[in-house]
Amino acid sequence: MSNEHDDTKAGDANDQLEPAGGGDRREVDALGLDNPARRKFLTRTAVGGGAALAGLAAGYGAIEYSVQGRPSKNYPEIDEAIFKPKDQRDVVLTFANSKALNEKHPERNEQYNRLQKKEFDFVAGFRDMYAKPWDNNKPGYTQMDRALQLAGWHPLGVAGSRKSANLQPNTPLHSWDQSDVEEEQYKFDDKQAASDAIKSAARVFGAVKCGIARQDKRWDYDPLYDLETNQELSWEEDFPFKPKSVIVMLTPQDYDCVATAPAWTADGTYGAGYTQMGIQADQMAKFLRAMGYHAVSAGNDLGSSVPYAIMAGLGEGARNGTLIAPLVGPRIRICKVYTDFDFVEYDQPHTWGITDFCLSCGKCAEACPADAIPLPSDKNGGYGFEPSYEFSDEPGYTWNNHHGIKKFYSDAKKCYNFWVENGGGCGACIASCTFNEPDFWHHKFILGITPASPKPLHALMAQMHPAFGYGHTNDPAKAEKFWKTGEGMRVNSSMKNNIGTSNKS
Amino acid sequence: MELFQWFCMGILFVLSVAALSYLSVVVKLKWYTLASLALGAFLILFGIGWAGASFLEGIAQSGALALILFCGSGVVLMTLTWRFLVAPELSKQSD
Repeated sequence: MSNEHDDTKAGDANDQLEPAGGGDRREVDALGLDNPARRKFLTRTAVGGGAALAGLAAGYGAIEYSVQGRPSKNYPEIDEAIFKPKDQRDVVLTFANSKALNEKHPERNEQYNRLQKKEFDFVAGFRDMYAKPWDNNKPGYTQMDRALQLAGWHPLGVAGSRKSANLQPNTPLHSWDQSDVEEEQYKFDDKQAASDAIKSAARVFGAVKCGIARQDKRWDYDPLYDLETNQELSWEEDFPFKPKSVIVMLTPQDYDCVATAPAWTADGTYGAGYTQMGIQADQMAKFLRAMGYHAVSAGNDLGSSVPYAIMAGLGEGARNGTLIAPLVGPRIRICKVYTDFDFVEYDQPHTWGITDFCLSCGKCAEACPADAIPLPSDKNGGYGFEPSYEFSDEPGYTWNNHHGIKKFYSDAKKCYNFWVENGGGCGACIASCTFNEPDFWHHKFILGITPASPKPLHALMAQMHPAFGYGHTNDPAKAEKFWKTGEGMRVNSSMKNNIGTSNKS
Repeated sequence: MELFQWFCMGILFVLSVAALSYLSVVVKLKWYTLASLALGAFLILFGIGWAGASFLEGIAQSGALALILFCGSGVVLMTLTWRFLVAPELSKQSD
């Protein structure tokens, strides 16, 4: 289209749009630059473009605002009639690591095997788990995958804290020793400065998120239990001080490695995550002690990590029993530091619409090879104050669940049973989760619109997740792919693996 | 690569705005015609942005589906709008 033609057309359009003053326009048209049609074109481009940019900026702002979450008034919902503090001995990981507890409760093994038609030995489970032979022709279960698995966990074992994953308190990395508390206490100007300083330190130690909650008896294991000596431990008599605050830190796990679940490969990043959280928690505790305050770090021990993380505003409870942290999903490990330092600005529980989304989703339940997670179509959708999964009405079968809190209840016994059969970990519920995404804008966009989206759309969004190619588990190709994601690590130009994304898989 | 993608999308955005402005000058269009064309352009840009991010993260299936769903919807919307709302106005004007 020639300029001449353009001008003619523009002139025609002008005549139609602005009948008044047409005679002057022809004169101006001849001068070229002052052509009113061109002026109109430029004006509309500027105004239209500006309006579109303003709209996009508003949308961006709305997403950023949404991703901050809204303070939640609904958490926790507790049925006081049935709620009581959780005895650490009633946690599967503690029970499975204690011969004494197994001998004390033979009925738990018997009932599980009778109902599930298995011949499973809880206490022999961890011993058997890593004894399964590798098969170099089976991606995800080769000697290399086993090596990654063992290497991931190794430093925790060297540090003598491997059992902290099984809730053993007072291990070397999470020592109760307070002999190194500085006499002089560092004083902060205000509470916000103290919170900011603690969270700054947390980032240096490798945490991807950090929040601070008040110490809460409802989430602490009581009594505590020493697996080595088979002794009960009391918060009042044995714990070295009266804790007031709990600093909660999240450790990221590698996206591509988790994607291989339930292969042994994935256990490599779980082990590495446990190792990192052991180190981080220990560093944070030392940071506080060096400032003159008592502090004890914890991995899975001392208290239930998920509710503490929710109270610290880091995420929401999910169908698979984990914490879902916005932008990282369930692909994290949680560690805690108990301290008597309380001059801090405490964080509050927040919501991103995640638990609501879980009610309609259920991708984790579909992916679970042990059928340990309730489906949305199951009784109450698996959500309530008490477990509603299969056999939960059998007396004593739900010994491992913490009754009385409104949440999703899963059967951790079946989950653990699968780890042993599988030969080391699983994590299919993490890999398949709709919120388990790498750090790209479209995932942030989806997270941002989730709270505002109507509930029927949640089910559709959940269906679209695998349709778009995300969240497939039990895929040997993922393990093969993972081992190639190291390409580019020399330069690592995107740095997205800061939150566990190699940007390759 | 991600920055390059956003740079290209910026160019596409400017071109889209300019094209719609030009069209609004050369032919008298109803507000809903312009809104429909703008929505179509937005869907196409959204799809390209989504697909670019998906290809960068290595999930080609997501990129392909984004092109079909978002860009495809945008193209269909713009085509129908052109066929039934813009073209008649253009022919009326040339008469």
